[in-house]
Formats: sequence, structure tokens, C-alpha cells
Amino acid sequence: MNRLGLAVRLLKRDARSGELTLLVLALIIAVSSSTAISLFADRMHRTMSTQAAEFLAADLVITSSDLISTEWLDKARELGLQQAKTSEFSTVLIENDELLLAGVKAVSPLYPLRGELKTTQADYSVETVRNHGPKAGEVWLDARVLSSLKLRLGDQVTVGEQALTVSEIITYEPDKRGDLYSLSPRVMMNEADLQATQIVQPGSHVHYFFQFSGDAEALAVFSTWVKPWLIPGQRLMDVQDDRPELGSALSRAERYLGLSSIIVILIAGVAIAMSTRRYSERHFNATAILRCLGCKQNDILRLFLYQFFILGLLACSIGSLLGWVTQEALFELLRDLLPAKVAAPSVIAVMLGFLTGFAILIGFALPPLLRLKKVSPLRVLRRELEPLSNSAWLVYGLALLLISGLIWRYTEDYKLMLTIIGGGLLATVLSGVLLMGLLKQLRKLLPYVGLNYRLGLQGVLRNPTASVTQILAFSITLLAMLLSFTVRNDLIQDWQQQLPDNAPNHFAMNILPQQASLFEQQLKQHDIPAADFYPVVRGRLVGINDIPVQRIVSKDSQGERATHRDLSLTWGHSLPSDNKTVAGQWGTAKQGEVSVESKLADSLGVTLGDKLTFSIGSEQMDAVVTHIRSVQWDTMKPNFYMVFGDGSLNSYPTTYITSFYLSDANKKVLNVLVKQFPSMTLLEVDAILKQFKTILTQLTAAVNYLLYFALLAGFTVLFASVNSTLDNRINEGALMRALGANRALLNQAHWVEFSIIGMVSGLIAVLMFELVSFGLYAFVLHLDFKFNLWLCVLTPLLSAACVVAAGLWGIKDVANKPPMWVLREI
Amino acid sequence: MLKNKQAIITAQNLGKTVPVADGDLTILSSVNLTINEAESIAIVGASGSGKSTLLGLLAGLDTPSNGSVTLQGTELTALDEDGRADVRNKLVGFVFQSFQLMPRLTALENVMLPLELRGDKGAEQTATALLKRVGLEQRLRHTPMKLSGGEQQRVALARAFVTEPAILFADEPTGNLDSKTGEQIIDLLFELNQEKNTTLVLVTHDAALAARCQRTVNIDAGKLT
Repeated sequence: MNRLGLAVRLLKRDARSGELTLLVLALIIAVSSSTAISLFADRMHRTMSTQAAEFLAADLVITSSDLISTEWLDKARELGLQQAKTSEFSTVLIENDELLLAGVKAVSPLYPLRGELKTTQADYSVETVRNHGPKAGEVWLDARVLSSLKLRLGDQVTVGEQALTVSEIITYEPDKRGDLYSLSPRVMMNEADLQATQIVQPGSHVHYFFQFSGDAEALAVFSTWVKPWLIPGQRLMDVQDDRPELGSALSRAERYLGLSSIIVILIAGVAIAMSTRRYSERHFNATAILRCLGCKQNDILRLFLYQFFILGLLACSIGSLLGWVTQEALFELLRDLLPAKVAAPSVIAVMLGFLTGFAILIGFALPPLLRLKKVSPLRVLRRELEPLSNSAWLVYGLALLLISGLIWRYTEDYKLMLTIIGGGLLATVLSGVLLMGLLKQLRKLLPYVGLNYRLGLQGVLRNPTASVTQILAFSITLLAMLLSFTVRNDLIQDWQQQLPDNAPNHFAMNILPQQASLFEQQLKQHDIPAADFYPVVRGRLVGINDIPVQRIVSKDSQGERATHRDLSLTWGHSLPSDNKTVAGQWGTAKQGEVSVESKLADSLGVTLGDKLTFSIGSEQMDAVVTHIRSVQWDTMKPNFYMVFGDGSLNSYPTTYITSFYLSDANKKVLNVLVKQFPSMTLLEVDAILKQFKTILTQLTAAVNYLLYFALLAGFTVLFASVNSTLDNRINEGALMRALGANRALLNQAHWVEFSIIGMVSGLIAVLMFELVSFGLYAFVLHLDFKFNLWLCVLTPLLSAACVVAAGLWGIKDVANKPPMWVLREI
Repeated sequence: MLKNKQAIITAQNLGKTVPVADGDLTILSSVNLTINEAESIAIVGASGSGKSTLLGLLAGLDTPSNGSVTLQGTELTALDEDGRADVRNKLVGFVFQSFQLMPRLTALENVMLPLELRGDKGAEQTATALLKRVGLEQRLRHTPMKLSGGEQQRVALARAFVTEPAILFADEPTGNLDSKTGEQIIDLLFELNQEKNTTLVLVTHDAALAARCQRTVNIDAGKLT
């Protein structure tokens, strides 16, 4: 027997009769969404990583207060890494009888390795993108330097002993950081002129940034090689450690993309399983005839496997192509938001989508297909003979295995995977038992309700196992859609809360105590809302329980970094509003007590009751830890590692710190403030904020787009499910009409049946959702969990509306065809 | 005696054409037929002769391409589908070759269904009595899956007669049964027909069965001969 030829012939016939439409549609959705998500996530990830690297202006940076060994630079060269260097220091510029403390940055020729610089020729003219810093002999200045020092383009400015020509106004530098050197008004010059300034002498306070970029593997090798050589005061930074708030947004987005992908696959899988079940049931008779004609069980299986292989090949090819087009369209749609250069699509991601498609087909379609093998030839005589169902292990085992594999791929965490699968199974079994009980109770209603309700109820109760399976399938679909939708909302809301529109974009530091109230008044006068003012004393943590801190901290830890520099110490009864108590009490804290930020406390191994010793100026003071608190560092408001009990540091020289929001239109106020409070240091963080917001906007758009796939897949399940019971419904509907039932009665009965299925599915889904989302928020996404009452009310109602609409649309033919015609179709 | 009876079914110039790939296929053409109250009539013909199509048109299960059908004074061709459903519910009973019972309902529920559709009170008692009459008092709560072919057809007979219809349409009622069971079913059908004084329209290709009817009409290639 030419099985392949027969398979192709049968497949063509089924395709022509519309038998395979829904199955192919579900598979195409699964493949196109998984390909699009896989491609999109891969490209976005690579693009965002590159863009995030712009914050460093490189992939990897070594910061050091001294020049680093040339051996390190040789090693980087040997590994094929590109290198650049910036030297940053503060200096006072004097021009036209005006003084200004400026942050000087001397850059090497290849700077910046990642990202770009932007300059203008006048305050408001068009920005020009620059891939390198100023030429030797030239200097680029911040607009504020020009206005403060009454300079114009083309004038000379003297940095140390070297006169340089002002050639551009610098408006953007990718690696602008929140420290003193780079947030004072910028002066950027060429490294070649550095020596001539004679500012950098042995012992002078210069910060060096050695920047590297290149192949990820080479970077990893270099990073591993160089780490053991780092000495205190040197730090290795990549995107993740340098900007934790950006790193966490990236990894959350990645987790969301992964989650969406699994959700779409799961939903589409349910649709495929339902469509294949109907397909195989409709082929029982034809299979019985083939068996009668002498086909062996394995012949039958092979015949259908060939068909599904061809089907898979076609659907996966179309799906991959659609997926590719979809992600291209998405990138096109987001072109204004994305950087000019986005990473190219990767062939591996396309292949992955294609293979995932086949895995879905095998995982979800094989079990119902295997039933065909068991069709008895006796069925030609006795149509009521149904083949035995496959064991539950086979039916659900394959799908479970597939989903487990996918979860592992995205989380790479066995424990998490087992928790999700175990929790999911437990919830499904419990819901199944609950549903069986509910259906039993519903049966008791039968004698008391009218015919239309009774027929509808009987529709649900006729086969409790099938109804429970269908309701669970809907519930899982709804659960997946709910998760996708609400996690997306909360994720976006969380990002937006992180950086509201009027998030402070300026820090004012070193405000003298006698000027603090005057400064506050000035802000009020210009309608500028300020965050609270905090007193600050600079001091260093030197001991924990009388043991020198350097003996306690582990190398390259947060604790090590915090103990190698002076910290800003503050005191008072009240804590910044975003601080949350982790342990201990604070409201009544007295002198000699200290509250420690929780992550630093973890890193230092500090707990309540420990004694901390600080060195402040030439003195030492002790404080007992009575409070540990979590801090949201990304609110752009002043925050502190150490807060002391009220009055603890009154005797030390104090300055004040605050932050405030200033719109672009109000920028000129800065000059007034700088003149009036010359000792104050003003840090502008606009650029960092803008860059961060752009990335969040991109992520939000991407996340929105991914939700559509989940919705599309969800509706396919609805139609597949209604379609899988269509034959029975057509048969029964036709018979009812032959017996005299009118359309209204049939519609009412169907309405009741679909409403019950939809409503119960919605209820189960919302119950499972609250449980799952609690776990997901607490352990995966690290967001606060909030119980959503509206969701509990709306989900069952919306679910009922959707199931009724899809159901009635799916069975419209039952009521619209003449009963004779329908009876003959069966 | 027949002459005194009134016509209950009248078909005039009845035709049915369906579109096929290479034009139209005529299944029935120019059928004129009158059936009187309480008459039993057999429509006989070979497979594909159009007899089931004729039955479908006479019973209002399908609409003709041309011509008209009048059932107890109501012209079916002038009604919409819901109107025809109403006429079927009030006047007509059916027995099909493949029984066509509702698989999810018990024997009793199947028989109760036409009464419930009419809004009759006491459907359960009436249906139970009729199922006893056809010998299925032990099978009231059984679903069709649990009944033999003969038993299923008995349920179908009970369902057909439970509303005491003016006309009963039977389409090859013994086609799916062995000869002995088939005979029993036919005996029962004729007994009930006599008891309820129903008009019987029977489609069959079995000449012996047709002979038990008062009148036989032959159909060949869509035309009455």
C-alpha cells in the first residue's frame, strides 16, 4: 500500500471539506506566536542589552582611582576586545570674573564604545550625533558652563594650565553617572591634552574608567580573568551590576516574554488537542472501514501520522513565516521608540519556533490521534462501538512534559518548574473534584426548571467527565489570559510608579545648614516641589562588633563597596517615605541607635543588636542596630544606607541634601540657584531619567503586543471547543426541530448551557488565578500581590458572554438549516 | 369508505432540484399526491428513487424547489421554518430507520420530549404509559446506548405516537433491524396506528411491508408511476 500517497489524498479531501481548518489555525497561531515571541524576545533582548550597555558606554568597565596594570589591557587586546578610557575629575574654571566647579572628562579616541554623544552649535539648534569626543585642542561644554562663565562657541577656556577652544555644546553623553564628577556641569576634552593641563599629579583625585566592548564570550573570559586581580577601590561593572533598577526591569521583561510564550503555547495546545479529538472522532467510521479492508493497527497509525506530519510541516512553515513577518511588523511599528540599529533576526530563533510547533503538535495532538489505532473493525456493523481512550498518563503526560520543558527553558530553575507544574496539577485536580460536586448539585435543579433551562442544563450534565474537561480547558485558557493581562498591567504600573512624570530630576547637595531654609524658600518661590531635606554627615563604617569591617566583608560584595568609601549618614525620627521596616522599630529611636538598609545588612551579616563603629572625620562613634529597612533606590529621592537616632550626629559638621523636579522650561532657575548658593553641588539626572523612560516605553509596547497573541489563541480554544461538540449538537438540534422545537427554544437551551459553562469556567479560573498570581508575584516577578475583587466579579460574567457569543456563532447552522438537510449530513 | 374521508396531505406539482458541479440535479419532479385522513400509504421505490426526499417534503422537513404541500389545510410552503416546526409538533410523528433518539436522554425523557415541546401537562405519566404499551416498562431510565436496536425503535415508536399525531411518517422503520425484530416492530406500528387512528405514510423498498398498507405508490427517478 502506498501509504504516503493515500495519506496525501485523504489529507486533501479533509482539507477541502474544512475538517482541518481549526486544527491548522490553532497550530499556525501557536507556531507564529512562539516564533514571533522567540524572535522578538531575542532581538529585543540583544537590542536592549546593547542599549543598556550605553549606560556604561561599553559592555564592561573597570573603575579605578589609579591607572590599571598594562598587563590587563594587553590581555583584553589579546582577547580581541576594544578599549577606551575616560579620566574624570573636578576642577574650578575661571573666565570673565566668573567661577564654576566643573566636572572634567578627558576621553580617549575610541570613546564611547557603546552609544553615542550628542552636541549642538547653539542652545536650541538641532543635535548632532557624534561617535567620538572632541579633537585635541578643543573642548565641548555644557550649556550651563557657557552661560555661567559668559562664554561663546569659539572662545578659549583654560583648564588647569591648558587653553582649549570651545567647539561644541555637549547635550548628551551615554555614561553620565550620578556622582560628583559627571553631574557637575560637563567639560569634555581630549585625552591628548590632559598632561598639558597639569591638573593630574600624583595624589590628585582622579577617577579612571577603563572601558571594554566586544564578543560576549571574550568579555566573560576577560571578566573571569581580571576579577581576582582587583584591589580595593577597583570595581568591575556590567549592565546588571551598574544599574540595578535597569537590570531588574530587563529581567522582569524577559520573564514576562517567556511567560507569554508559554501561555500562548499552552492555550494553542488546548485548541489543538480539542480539534484533534474531533478530527479523530470523525474518522472512527472511515478507520473502521479501512480496518475491515485489511489495514493493520500500525498501518492506520502510520497513515494518520503521515497526514499530521505533512500538516505540521505546512502549518509550521506558514506559522514561522507569519511569525517572522509579525515581529518585523512589530519592530516597524515601534521604530520611533527603538534605537536606530536593532539586532538582526536570528535564524536559530526561527528554527526554535518551527521545532516548538512540532513539539506542540506531538504533545497535544498525538494522544487523541492514537485512539484511531484502537478503532475496532466491528464498528462497520455497530456504530456505537467506541475505541478505548488512551491512558490519562499518555494524554496528559506528553503535554505536561512539553510545558515542563518550556518552563525550564525560560526559567532554568528546576525548583520553580516543579512548583509551577505541581501547583498547576494540584489546582486542576482540586478544581475537577469541585466541578464534579457542583454538577451533581446542578442535577438536583432539573425537576424544578422550565424546558429551556432543563435542556440547557442537560447539555452540561449529559456527560459530566466531558463537561468537566471542557470547563477545565476553558478555565486554564482564561487563567492564562488573566495572568498575561494582569501581570502586564501590574508590570507596567510598577514601572510607571518607579518613574512618575514628575520624578525628581535634580539633586542639591552640600547645602549649608544656615542656607537650608533659604534654599527651600527659593524653591517655593519658583513653584518647585522639593523632596524632604535631610542632614548629612560623611562617615565610613569601620567596625562591626569591634571587628574591623575589612575582615568581615567578602570581596566584590555590596558590603565591600559600601565600606571602601564614605557614606552619607543622616539622622532623625522620620524615614524617607518609600522605606519599609524589615526588622525592629524606629519611631522612638534615640541617640546611639542606627537603622541599616536591608541588602547592605545582609551583605555585611549585620542583625539587630549588632554594634557598628563609624569613622567621622578624625573621630570614631558607635551605634547599635535597632532597625533594618528596605529602600527603593530608584525613586530619585535622597536615600541612605544608614539612618541614626535623632540628634546622634548633631555635633559633626553638617550639610543638607534634597531632590526636586525642574521642567525644561524652568531650567534657567538653576543658574540663579548656583549663583545664590555657590557652595551647593547640583546634580542633573535628566538624561539618565529620559533614557530609562525610553526603555520602559519600549518594553511596555512590546508587552502589550504579546498580549494579543494570548487573546487570539484564547478565542481559538473557544471555537475549537464549540466545534468539537458540533456534530452532536447538529444532530440533536435537527432532531429537536423535526419533533417541533422552534429556533427560540433551541437558542435558549444553548444560551443556558453556554452561560453555565462560561460562568463556571470563569469562577474556577479566577480562583486559580488568585492562587497562581500570589505565587508568581511573590517568587518570580517580585511585585506586591493585591487581591482584585473586580476581577472576581467581571471574569465569570465576561467569560459567560464570550462562551455564549462563540458558542451561538459556532452552532448557528444548527438552527438555520432545514432539519431534513441536517439529518442527511450526519 | 376512503371516499368519505377528507384529504389530510395534498402535494401539487412538487419538485426538488439540487445544484451539483455540472448543473442542477432533479431529485423529484411534478409529484401530485393526495393522502386522506387515517389512510395508510406506502411509498416504494429503489434506492435513490427520491422516496425519502418526498417524505421529507411531505412532512415539512425540507422545502421544495417548486410546487406546494398542504397539511390538514395548512400550506407548508407558505410557512417559515419555525412555522413548519409548529405544524410538525402539532400534527406529525416520525419513525426513522436509524431511530434518531437523543443520546443524552433516557427512554422516558425521549418520549416525554415532544409533549414537553407542546407544553403538555402530565408528560411523564403519558410517556410512561406508552412505554409500557410498547413493552419497555423495565427500560424507562435507560439511555439509548444501553438499549438494543429493537428496543430503541420501540422507544422511537412510543415517541412518535405519544402526541397522538394526525400523521405518522416512517422512513424504512425496519431497515436497521433483523427480520424477526422488524416484524415485531411493524406489528406494533400497525397496532398503534389502528388504536390512534393515525394517517400513516411509510417509505420502504420492502414489497411485503408495503402490502400491509391500504395503498401503495411507486416512485422511480423522482416521478410517481
